[in-house]
Amino acid sequence: MKKKNNHVLLCVLCILVQSISCIKDVDFDQIEDVTLTPIYEVDFVHSRFDTNQFVGFNIDPAISIPEVIVNDTLSYDLLGTDFVVDNLDRIELTFEFSNTIERDFEFDFGFLNADEQRIGSLYSMIANSGNGEGTKPVIITKVVILDNSEIDILRDATKLFASVRLQNVNSSLQGILELKSKGTYFFNYEL
Amino acid sequence: MRIIIFILVSIWVCLGYSQNKETLYDFTDLPQSLMLNPGANINFDYHAGVPFLSQFHINAGLKGASVYDVFADDGRDINDKIENTLNTLTSNDYLTLTQQLELISFGWKSKKNEKIYFSGGIYQELDVIGYFPKDFAVLAYQGNQDFLNQPFRFSTINGSAELLTTYHFGYTKKINKKLTFGARVKLYSSMFHIRSAKNKGTFTTVETPEGNNVYQHVISNVDVTVRTSGYASMEDAEGKEITNKLIRRAFLGGNLGLGVDIGFTHKINEQLVITGSANDLGVILYAKDVATYRAQGNYVFEGFEMPVQFSEQDSQNFIDELKEAIPLDTLSKAYVTMRPLKLNTSIRYSFNRYDDGTCDCYIEGEKPPYLDAIGIQLFTQFRPKKPQYAVSLFYYKRFFNFLRTKLTYTIDDYSYYNIGFLTSIHINKINFYISANNLLEYTKLAKVRGSSVQLGFNIIMR
Repeated sequence: MKKKNNHVLLCVLCILVQSISCIKDVDFDQIEDVTLTPIYEVDFVHSRFDTNQFVGFNIDPAISIPEVIVNDTLSYDLLGTDFVVDNLDRIELTFEFSNTIERDFEFDFGFLNADEQRIGSLYSMIANSGNGEGTKPVIITKVVILDNSEIDILRDATKLFASVRLQNVNSSLQGILELKSKGTYFFNYEL
Repeated sequence: MRIIIFILVSIWVCLGYSQNKETLYDFTDLPQSLMLNPGANINFDYHAGVPFLSQFHINAGLKGASVYDVFADDGRDINDKIENTLNTLTSNDYLTLTQQLELISFGWKSKKNEKIYFSGGIYQELDVIGYFPKDFAVLAYQGNQDFLNQPFRFSTINGSAELLTTYHFGYTKKINKKLTFGARVKLYSSMFHIRSAKNKGTFTTVETPEGNNVYQHVISNVDVTVRTSGYASMEDAEGKEITNKLIRRAFLGGNLGLGVDIGFTHKINEQLVITGSANDLGVILYAKDVATYRAQGNYVFEGFEMPVQFSEQDSQNFIDELKEAIPLDTLSKAYVTMRPLKLNTSIRYSFNRYDDGTCDCYIEGEKPPYLDAIGIQLFTQFRPKKPQYAVSLFYYKRFFNFLRTKLTYTIDDYSYYNIGFLTSIHINKINFYISANNLLEYTKLAKVRGSSVQLGFNIIMR
């Protein structure tokens, strides 16, 4: 009888060893603290303004155009989806102007909704005058930060508009203005 | 998202890794050994598995990390631990999950020729393998800022998942005193299949000081394919409809395939035996409800030129340009895939014959059984990227007529110290068995990178 009990005990022991396990030293509640903070670098806008393309050589240099304004609008879904809007901490837009033209340029840009209405701020910046064709370009860097509240306002942005303006343009004005820009998107996504 | 992660982690923790069943292989006291080697040297008159309970098998594994690496209660910030784990893992690390449920299992000795044993049944199987998509996990978790000029490779996206039922019928014959040979024909009915492998191409953010803008975002020679079957018609289906469709497919209404298992047992002498088997040497033809998604092309983005009057070009539409450059085609062309072939081989040395004349633990007229055996087993499974291997040392012990056990020590991709144990209890015709591995780690299961559990009930007549 005792032998039989031992057998049963042995069987139970074998099964128990294989059935019981426990997870120690781990805390799954930590998942509450998981935060994804990826940072993405994405090109924004670029342009190259060469005076030769806009002012004919054969025009008398004495003739001066008081102001030249170039406008443009393009489809631009800045934020894409609600997920992006809800989890973006901020966007840093970095603009770098490189100018050899002896004029200041004013660069403005902003965002439009589907009804072509501007939403959010109008962002303006000046690219300082250069020192003429063949000289070392004057480089100006500007950073525009779109914070949480601004991003929320721009939720419905579907278009980007921009304008470049400069004054007193004549045919003796030579040189190039280059603009390069990028957006740095800082996400903060909590699981 | 949180729920998905929790479920994945739970599966990972609670379940046990590749389809290696090192404790069951060549354990000829159990009819399930015929599923691993149709040429197993079994000695039954008939067997019947208790329907739905004759074998439940599950294994899960993660090569490269463990739950503990991320969820250790050690006071460190979980985000730091995730980042460390992310840096440790490579695109050759993977997560596997295999589950099998025997629905019906039966077998009988031929009345015409007692050297022949027939066996058959139906089982359902879920088989998932996902390689760690290292590059895109890094892109999602850390972004591209710290990885400028470094390519993110689409080749790191690899994986497959399949849910199927298998109808099988096998034949085991003792050719002579030394050789037993067996073969099993399998008819597969696939309920759902998805696979993405052999992808190509890169995404790179390149710094371009002399270029038009700060960067170029370059998608180069991308060629990504995801094959699915049984998915497209499910997209709009809900609850009960999905269940009904799956059940219909389970009963030969799905994509069908054909395969074989073959195996042998060869007695070199009374005590030394070698075995070998190849399982799931077969293919499935996916012709129903097939949707293959394929994206191919090149694209370079360097921001938007504006005002476009400067360049006198048309305004850009990024999305349209991207769709044109890398079109996503949906094809419904039939395709064929191989089942994941598994190879087993072993050598066993038996000793300690029970021969004191008092034992009723063997069949009258036959020689008394050996109570102990030791040996070595090798296992290989072919996977989308490369085969997985495992080598096991084992010790078989028969304690009493009703208790037979097997202890294994396995080295595989997941661990160098994996101890497995099988207990099989035989009381009259009733049999119950349970097997698990990674026992040394059971008290700290979270540190385990893979483990496996099998259990079931049979009625066995000798």
